[in-house]
This record gives sequence, structure tokens and C-alpha cells, in this order.
Amino acid sequence: MVRDPLADPGASLAQVMAAVTAAEARSDPIATAHIGVSAGASVDMLGLYLRRHALLAGVRLSVSQGNFDDPLGDLARFAEARCDHLLLAPFLDALEPAFEARAAMLSDAELEAREADLRARWRLVLRGAGGFRTVFLCGLHRISAPVAGGDRLDAVISRLNQALREEAAAFANVRWIDLAGLVADLGRRAAFDLRFYLRNTAPYAPPLLDEWARQVTAVSRAYGTRFPKALVLDCDNTLWGGILGEDLASGIRLSPDSYPGNVFHRAQTEFLALQRRGVLLCLCSKNDADEVATVLASHPDMVLRPPDIIASQVNWSDKVENLRQLAQDLNIGLDSLVFLDDSAFECEAVRSQTPQVTVFQVPASPPDYLAVIAAIKDLFLAGGVMTDGADKTAQYRQRAEALAEQQAFATHEDYLASLGLTVTLARDDAARSTRIAELSQKSNQFNLTTIRYTDGEIEGLMADPAVAVWSLEVADRFGPAGLTGVVVVRHAGATASIESLFMSCRVLGRGVEFAIWPAILGEAAARGCTRVRASYWPTAKNAQAADFYDRAGLALVSDAGGVRSYAAALATFAAPPSPWIEVLNA
Amino acid sequence: MLDEAALKQVMAIVLGVSVDAIGPDASADTIPSWDSLHHMNLVLALEQTFGVVIPDEDAADITSYALIKVVLQEQLGR
Repeated sequence: MVRDPLADPGASLAQVMAAVTAAEARSDPIATAHIGVSAGASVDMLGLYLRRHALLAGVRLSVSQGNFDDPLGDLARFAEARCDHLLLAPFLDALEPAFEARAAMLSDAELEAREADLRARWRLVLRGAGGFRTVFLCGLHRISAPVAGGDRLDAVISRLNQALREEAAAFANVRWIDLAGLVADLGRRAAFDLRFYLRNTAPYAPPLLDEWARQVTAVSRAYGTRFPKALVLDCDNTLWGGILGEDLASGIRLSPDSYPGNVFHRAQTEFLALQRRGVLLCLCSKNDADEVATVLASHPDMVLRPPDIIASQVNWSDKVENLRQLAQDLNIGLDSLVFLDDSAFECEAVRSQTPQVTVFQVPASPPDYLAVIAAIKDLFLAGGVMTDGADKTAQYRQRAEALAEQQAFATHEDYLASLGLTVTLARDDAARSTRIAELSQKSNQFNLTTIRYTDGEIEGLMADPAVAVWSLEVADRFGPAGLTGVVVVRHAGATASIESLFMSCRVLGRGVEFAIWPAILGEAAARGCTRVRASYWPTAKNAQAADFYDRAGLALVSDAGGVRSYAAALATFAAPPSPWIEVLNA
Repeated sequence: MLDEAALKQVMAIVLGVSVDAIGPDASADTIPSWDSLHHMNLVLALEQTFGVVIPDEDAADITSYALIKVVLQEQLGR
């Protein structure tokens, strides 16, 4: 089979150039993005590889190159060019010619002055970069050969990188790229081309640029287009070696002490670690459900156990149908699913019938499996996960248990009253901005206007006296559901406009979406507003919210191609009551 | 034996011109996009495509089709 050079890691530079140009010309991208690259060395070719990896993730990326070692000037240029992302690559020898050699001679006082200078400069740059969705700050690294046992240059670089990371920590939109780690992973000889370093200040060889770009793309989560939530696992030759139906529970290979069982044991351990970081694990296997359940519950070498699996489709039906069912059960989109299976047939069926699902195939040779797992981890974890997103399985499980209890009450209201529901409202709380932005990126179904915000934009709205950013934390007697809803209200004269309203689907259906309005609109009235306006913007996914404002009791003013506008006088507006909910102020 | 068609193809891709623009007289003087940056990319692309290492002393100087041919033939062993 001929591999598309766009995806082939072995493709030559000329092949990649031709493939990228061709793909950009023909493709209908899912999304577009624009990144500005500001570096202390010449990295023009990084642009080619950034475009390559963006295309592989379905994004058409424009790249603007900055001037040599001029991050502050570049900020202004990139803002004018309307870049939405920014890559900053400080370079050691740009600090001072031959800095790597000079580092050995730096006194402690000189090093301290260097560090202070570096901090001051980059703090200024990062502060000016608040308008970019994401800023990729790349760490310093050495080019010269390492000295066995470490030398003073190692110590200097590690101290300066530490300083950069500390400065970056103050800004929510900054992501760290460990360039020194990339160099170490690839090997110094493959990473650099000293000919062009000395002649053109272009030290990086194509293999490093390719890997660098791949990592930036992963950390960016395909420039904000990708939010994987669930990992759907096949069983045979995926969780264990062999086929349960043929080899039986005693014959499947899963022992940590022998090959190839140790590969599958390790794979399961990696999946469990993902689950602990908030990834939902599901099973989708053509097998006898009871047999799989028995292995899961009682096979001595299993790492994954029944409580770690949030949902299963173990049966003999079509995997595409099973994946749709899993997405429906978890109330998430197909594009939030990552599917792992050893069968080329199943992988291809899923790829062709549900292209929204990200598909990975378990390689035939067990040692190659670890690289595939690394790629899956990268997909879920690159760029960091928010603490509030962790242990999602427990939250979804609460929802499932709540659903089960629901059956026993006479009326839905009796049930709701038994839950002890509380909604805690917080207004303009900067500490919650990261989670609010994250929720705005992820919420699709109950999202009335589907405006996606960055951390910085939320912080800006919070600081704006005319805007109130409300967040809701829902809890019941089963436990807290975390920050699961947001309302953004803009006040202008007598009118309060609901700019955004989105909530996580797992707290819907309990009246929370109606209970919040007295507090929110009461605050608007206290500001002197007498009217409320709101609107619904249709997307491919938010049909379930289309009539929400009708149900809330607002009057429909216009419907233009599905965009529905509503209004009401605050004096007469009253949302349906939900007396079973206690609304608290944070 | 140097594959001149492949050579022209690589030069055209890297320099962003059509293959027809790469004649025997093509050089940095006749092709406006052939600046130092593109030249660097060109050397890297030639090395990868033909599986050779172009010596540092030649790398900066081979700014014409004719010179590239000479150096590649040398590296390819004829």
C-alpha cells in the first residue's frame, strides 16, 4: 500500500512540501487556524511541519513568521495579522553570542542577573499575549554535546527554564513545550544540522521540526477542535492477548511476568491511569457478555475491573451501532469517542461509517502497541487536563445511579425533592475562569449560542463592569457535580442580554436551568435593567435547546432562519418554579 | 546515474516554481524565490531525495542547476 506522504513519517522534505501544498489546495477543512511563530533562531521550516500536522488533524493552518528574536514586535505584527495562536521559541545563543560556551564562566551574580533579565522580558511578552487563544512557550535547550555527568550549562539551562515556567504559570493561555525533552528523545545528532546553524542560525533538522510540530498540534488539541472524552476498547487482542471464545479465560495472555501478556498488562495499566485522569473507559467487543464480565470481575491478572468501565456494549452486533449506543448512553457526541480495536476490518468500518470517531488500531506486533498507546495518551492528556474534569467516571456513575432511583418515586417531582438539590451561583469569580472556558469549548447540546471562550476572554468579561459571568455548581445528596453551567449576561441601559447559556447535559432535567433566573435577573434589575433579551443560535448539535426559552417563559420576537430571538419585561417574567432546588450564593 | 527529472521535480517543489522553469541555466539569479532560506531547504531536500550528504564547503555555493548537478554526480560516485 502506498502511504500518503502527508501521513508517512518517512516522507522526504520535498514529498512533504508537495503533499502539504496539494492537501491545502483540495481539502475542505473542518476548521482553520492561524499561528504566529516568534523565535530566536530561524525556524521557517517549522511552519511546513505545523501545517502538515494541522492538516492531519483536519485543520488548515496559516503560519506567520516573526522577525529574528523580536517577540514584542512580533506580538503587534501577529495581532494585526489576526493570528489566534502564538508560538514563542526563545533560543539560548540569542541571549548572547556563544552563550553556551560563556555559561561555564558565568558567576552566580551574573547568572542571577541573566535570570532576572529573562524573567522581565518574557513576563512582558506573555502579558502582551493575553489576546491569543493559546501561547506555546518552548523551553531552552543545549546544542553542544553534553558532558558526561552534567556540567554547568545543564544547571544554567535548567534554572532559566524553571524561571520561564514560573513566569508562564501566571497565564492561563500558556502551554509549555519541552524542547530539550524532544531533542533528548530524538537524539542530538538527528535534531540539529550544524551547517545551517552556523551559516543561517537555523539549527533544527527536519526530524526535530516534524516532532516539534506534532507535539504543538497535540497540545493545542488540534487547535481547539478536539475534545476526546471516552476511550472505547475492544477486548480480544486489545485488553488481553488471544481470543476469549477460543482460548478461554485460562488461555488468554495477560500475565505481567511473561511475554506477550506483559504488553497487555501494561496497556491495561495505562488505560486505568487515563481513567484516573478523567477519561471514560468503555468496552465494545464481539463476545459473550457473561464471559467478558467474568474475566473483568475475577481474572487474577486483570488490571481493569468492573467499576473502571462506565459503559459496555459486549454483543455480536455491529460495532458502529454499538458506538452510537455508547455515545447516546453517555450523552456525548461521536466526536468525543476514541476507538481502539485490533481488527483492520472493524477499524475501517468505524472510520468509513462514523468518521467523527478517532480510530486507533492495535498493531500486529505487541511491542509496537506501546507506541499506539503513547499516541492515545497524547490525544487525551496533551496540554493538560483540568482538575475539575478528573474522575468523570464517578460523576457519570452518580448520574446512572440517580436514573435508577428515579424509577421508584410516584412523580418526577417527588423524586427531585428527594435529591436535596443545591445550585451554588458565583459571579465574576476569576478562579473559575479556566473551568468556565473549558466548559464553553466542550458544551454542544445544551448551548444556546455556542460562543466558545478562551480563559483570557472569560477573564476579560469578568473584568468588564457591564458584563456578569455566572457559573453554577450543582450538588445533590449523591455528591457534587462540579461547575456544570454558565450564564453570561451583558447589561446595556435598560436591557439585560443573555449572551451565553450553556450547561453540562448531566445536570439537565432537574429544573436547574429554570431555578437560576430569579437570582441572575434580580441582579440585572438591581443594576437598573427592566428588560431581558435572549437568543438561540442553531448548530448541528444543539437542537434539544431550540425551544428552551419558550419553555422558560420568554416571548419569541423573531425567528430568522432558525435564529430565534426572545424578550420579556423583568417585572412580569417568571420562569417555571422549581421549589425542590435551593439556590445559594458562593 | 543522476535522475535529472527527479532533480528538477525537487527543485520545483522547494522553490515553488513549475518544473519548466528549471532549465539548464536555472540559478539563484534567474529564479527570484531562490533566496538563502529556500537554498537551505533545497540542500536538505536534495540530500534526502538522493540519499547523499552535501559537504559543507559545497552546500552554500551550489546556487545553480549546473553546479547542483556536478556536486550530486560527485556524491553519487560518478
